[in-house]
Amino acid sequence: MPRLRTQTKKAQIMSLEEACKAFMHDGAMVAWSGFTGFNRNPFAFAWQTVRQGVKDLHVIDRHGSCCTWLLNAAGAIKIYETNWMGWGEMAGKLDVNLERRYKKGEMILEDYSHGATAMRALAGAIGAPFIPYNAPLGSDLYNPKYDALGKAGLRDGKNPRIPKKKFIQMEEPFWGEGETVLLPAMRPELAVIHVAQCGDKGTARWRGVGTIDKEISFAAEKVVILAEEVVPESEMRKLPEGNQIPYFVVDAIVECPWGAFPSSVPFYYDYDAPFMREMDKISRNLDDQKKWLDEWVYGPKSWEEFIVKLGAKRLLDLKADSVTGYSTRMMRGKKPAPRMKMPLSVAMSGY
Amino acid sequence: MKGGNTTMAKSMEQLMELIEKMPDEAAKPGEFILPELMAIQIAHTVRNDDIVFAGTGLPMVGIMTANFINAPNALLIYESGICDGKTMHVPMSVCDQRAANMSSTLGGLVDTFGYYLQNGYVTLGFLGGAAIDKYGGVNVTSIGDYYNPGHRFTGSGGNSDIGTMAHRVAYIILQEKRRFIERNDYTTTPGWWCWDFKTNEWKPKKEVWKGTAYANSGPVAVVTNMGNYAFDEKGEIYLKSFHPGVTVEQIKENCGFNLNVSRVEGETKKPTYKELFVLREFVDPELIFLPQKVEYPASIQKLING
Repeated sequence: MPRLRTQTKKAQIMSLEEACKAFMHDGAMVAWSGFTGFNRNPFAFAWQTVRQGVKDLHVIDRHGSCCTWLLNAAGAIKIYETNWMGWGEMAGKLDVNLERRYKKGEMILEDYSHGATAMRALAGAIGAPFIPYNAPLGSDLYNPKYDALGKAGLRDGKNPRIPKKKFIQMEEPFWGEGETVLLPAMRPELAVIHVAQCGDKGTARWRGVGTIDKEISFAAEKVVILAEEVVPESEMRKLPEGNQIPYFVVDAIVECPWGAFPSSVPFYYDYDAPFMREMDKISRNLDDQKKWLDEWVYGPKSWEEFIVKLGAKRLLDLKADSVTGYSTRMMRGKKPAPRMKMPLSVAMSGY
Repeated sequence: MKGGNTTMAKSMEQLMELIEKMPDEAAKPGEFILPELMAIQIAHTVRNDDIVFAGTGLPMVGIMTANFINAPNALLIYESGICDGKTMHVPMSVCDQRAANMSSTLGGLVDTFGYYLQNGYVTLGFLGGAAIDKYGGVNVTSIGDYYNPGHRFTGSGGNSDIGTMAHRVAYIILQEKRRFIERNDYTTTPGWWCWDFKTNEWKPKKEVWKGTAYANSGPVAVVTNMGNYAFDEKGEIYLKSFHPGVTVEQIKENCGFNLNVSRVEGETKKPTYKELFVLREFVDPELIFLPQKVEYPASIQKLING
């Protein structure tokens, strides 16, 4: 049920290591910000999680991402409630570690869809126990036979964060609009959100898409914000309509420049497609993967050292330009990006 | 900084002028490749007044092409929260800042799946799929036993939501015998016939979804590497046109059920030089989704060189 609180939270400014120690533990139910492997993945936090040896996580999320890729590579996920187990689209659609572990029975996978996950997060955010949704009737997603958490005996009510049912299909009771589906709220323990800017009190802002980051911040019991920049709270109050997360839901603030690498932070840096392709490539061979993890995860002494290891050239190429919010210097495909002043559709439609 | 793309050494204005000069005539076989043909088939599905919700990959390339040729006013929604993005550079993902460029509003998944999709605004969904049944039901989840799959795909993502609530839905699928089948092992997105899990009966979607706003929404087109498909009054798929160089017999051989070919209209319309020019120079000049850049025939290259 919604957690009644008697006082506002006081967000603590912490280091990456401190925040991860304080909020991550074996078996935690966690939601991560961003979308696919490309946008605002709190990768530094996942990286630190793996370094601290946290395991048996219950990840509840819209998507695979660079974070879930790494957690799966380290075998840290036990339950994965999601709707898309890829992670990087063009970089490597299927997370092969996830497939490998799932086929070996090392993890439980519960399937939903994007819309359903968004609605579950919304229900969690507004303190509703469940939400009706015109979920696809006739889809095996809503076939009573296919309830992975139920099959594993985890819907017995013992874990307060796992609902007793995956869904309920019922006749729409108010308008006579056929059948509808009730989805349980999402109630994660921790939301890890990477943003562009965060005030030193906790008010947070991103640019670009919001995915379901505001929803999971409110649905979760605890919220850790990782920010490219931590700025005086008063600065965040000069354009309040540009902020998405109010400070009173935030537990910890971590200043972590380049912390979403290899995903992007719009207007700060672009995603690194070649780096992600390399991650995908090495994941297809366990020896290569071990070497990669030793080099990139366990090798560097700190996140700063990881970024320094990337080299100035790479960071220069990824640096976003201030007009578009992305970089046109990065080689994403086989040819460099052309310089364009205006989208052709705008030129052709005349506005 | 790496120098500009050599083919794009021209200014925007020069390129715009060139589009005008590009002939509207169909290119000849060998002057285009299959992914180009497929992207342009997707583009032709889009109407100028459509609100389109598309997935990553060729669907995105196709609708961008439409936005640049036949449907400049079509409104493109990308699931991460983007409303009417006007893209300059092809996005690699639906959450790419490139897709958010000059958008009308930016929000999140509750906006796109709730406010736009469930609320009935989306007129066309364009999606991929791993396998499809004869009624347009799509599987992007697993092959074999769900709990012990022979192969596990990425899972629904937005496929099942968009594929049932958009008014018209189109899919792009690689055509193989094992992907074009009578009945899916797992139906992620139901087509015109699906299970009614309340009664455990296989029924027309219109009955299962009776009373909802979406009973008449569903698949209208499928584009594959071999042909274009549509659906008849019974909701059954039929071959509409075969791509250049492909025969109806080959298509039947690459289909796991007895495909209706009685309504085939002929060969798929080949892309025009104008369409190819826009696709190559404006949509994906970085060669992210297109595997290679095909050389233009001499007459067209002469136009480009000026």
